[in-house]
Amino acid sequence: MADTTSSGDIGGRKRRIKLGFGFWLPMSWVIFLFFCAATADFWPLPLPSEMHFLDQEMTPGHQSMAFINEEEVEFTFVLGTDNMGRDILARLIHGSRVSLMVGLVSPIIGLVIGGLLGMLAGYFRGRIEGIVVAVMDAVLAFPALVLLIALTFYLGPSLTTVTFSLGILTVPFFTRVARASTLTFAKREFVLAARAIGTSDFRIIVREILPNVFFPLLVYALLVTAALIIAEGVLGFLGLSVPPPTTSWGAMINDGRDYLEEAPHISLIPAAAMFLTVLSFNLLGDYIRSLGDPRESKL
Amino acid sequence: MTDGRTAAEEPYVLQVENLETRFSTEHGWLRAVDNVSFNLPKGKTIGVVGESGSGKSVLSRTIMGLLPSNARVNDDAKVIFEGKDLRQMSEAELRHIRGPEIAMVFQDPMSSLNPVMKIGKQIAESQIVHLGLSKKDARNNAIELLREVGIPLPEKRVDEYPHQLSGGMRQRVAIAIALACQPKLLIADEPTTALDVTVQAEILDLLQREQQDRHMTMILITHDLGVVAGRTDYVGVMYAGQIVEQADTKDLFQNMRMRYTEALLNSIPRLEDEPHKRLETVGGRPPDLVSPPPGCRFAPRCQYADEKCTEDEPPFGVGAGLTGHSFACWHPIQPAGGTR
Repeated sequence: MADTTSSGDIGGRKRRIKLGFGFWLPMSWVIFLFFCAATADFWPLPLPSEMHFLDQEMTPGHQSMAFINEEEVEFTFVLGTDNMGRDILARLIHGSRVSLMVGLVSPIIGLVIGGLLGMLAGYFRGRIEGIVVAVMDAVLAFPALVLLIALTFYLGPSLTTVTFSLGILTVPFFTRVARASTLTFAKREFVLAARAIGTSDFRIIVREILPNVFFPLLVYALLVTAALIIAEGVLGFLGLSVPPPTTSWGAMINDGRDYLEEAPHISLIPAAAMFLTVLSFNLLGDYIRSLGDPRESKL
Repeated sequence: MTDGRTAAEEPYVLQVENLETRFSTEHGWLRAVDNVSFNLPKGKTIGVVGESGSGKSVLSRTIMGLLPSNARVNDDAKVIFEGKDLRQMSEAELRHIRGPEIAMVFQDPMSSLNPVMKIGKQIAESQIVHLGLSKKDARNNAIELLREVGIPLPEKRVDEYPHQLSGGMRQRVAIAIALACQPKLLIADEPTTALDVTVQAEILDLLQREQQDRHMTMILITHDLGVVAGRTDYVGVMYAGQIVEQADTKDLFQNMRMRYTEALLNSIPRLEDEPHKRLETVGGRPPDLVSPPPGCRFAPRCQYADEKCTEDEPPFGVGAGLTGHSFACWHPIQPAGGTR
């Protein structure tokens, strides 16, 4: 048969995706962050809330005494101390938990709810689409900060509240992405072909639409992660994030605000950590999207 | 196809009566399918031929009940499949018809396969949904189907994605999907239009072979009279949403009556033509289906048209003899010699 010889890879010659430097560099930073967040309690460091009133605003490398595992020992403050003499490295490591929690769990809330609503709107159109779009436009038009303050007020400031509120705020964006790609895929012939073999709407959404829509949603989620880590920083700066003694990078930057002239490292170190993290997530998102592009063009 | 006989005498798989499909557009109702009726006996193949936009695909989608939301079908239309009127069925009932009873092969295999699902899974899908097979059994059946439609190394291919296959192979996969639940009626909607010429004949042969082996009834939709010539039992020629001529395939080609059919046939280039001969075309454009011209719809493009043609619509069926050769024309080609 003429058409059997023309096509390529028969017999195990699989295309292997080669991940380059542009992937592994940001990825290693993210993996390192996860490691820090997971092992924060086991590092040989003083507690993040332990204050040393004799060692305030000390520059990186300062040596003094500190309590480690309830034992007073000679200790080097690798990244210095903040305005209350707390170890910046310890606070940075514990703060990464908040950033990662907000940066990863919130987009998942948005992705699940928004993705579902967007697919329903894009697939069924009509009244469902009208209602979903109207509600999402209303959420978008509502000032985000006011909503956050209101939610924090009613639910009480906690990590759960911040994660949940930021997650709700991302729902409209995911809805838009999901609806837009569902619209294009629902028009494609393979959806019609699936209906032509008697597949139910539910099964079409799960089996035909979802696998196609999921990839753009995932890439979008990585970019949202970056944006949310910044958003958490802003909230921390405004004092609307997690309450003390839990520490977050935003709160750390805020702590150093009044000492920028004499001890800039108090603000700059957490800011640098946030910068690297946001940059890494953005780079990862872009990289994964570029992996998807050649596949799209082959369709 | 044959008129004048009742369903009791001959088992029709599909009977279509007074079908009219309209689309709501900005300019008004567009009549894509206009008063179409035909009967299809079991185990036969009917070819539906016509230009782009003549309503062939809309006809097939109306039969399947797969119309977009802006389409309306008239209430007295009947689409009777094995004695049951599909028009009266709910969407849930229709789902059990689509796949195990009526299946469809689409025009473009590049877009009729899901790009992110392995082809084996796509073939297995309808067997899992309709026949309740386990994943493993459905997969084994999928391999068998792939072998049957002529795909080499089906055990390997079953785990490949559509983009790893060539166009002809993809259409074979699409045919395997359509055949998966042993449908009684197969609708092939321009199955070779998007394919390389060298592959077209193979795909048509495959469809014909499967139709015969499985005793299926088939509707073969195409714009190419040459495609239907050797492969169908009946032919219906569509123009501007109407069937304008229908007959036994042999009879149609021997005693072509309708001017439009003749024009279609003349537009096929022939081997015996001298080199660089200008291709014949059907001049003009198909009529506006929102407000079609009075009289014969082909009249504005027909060189034999006179005043009568532009005023009165020719009735369909004039001159229908025992052979069931029907057509709608005031000035038909005289049957004496035919055209070729």
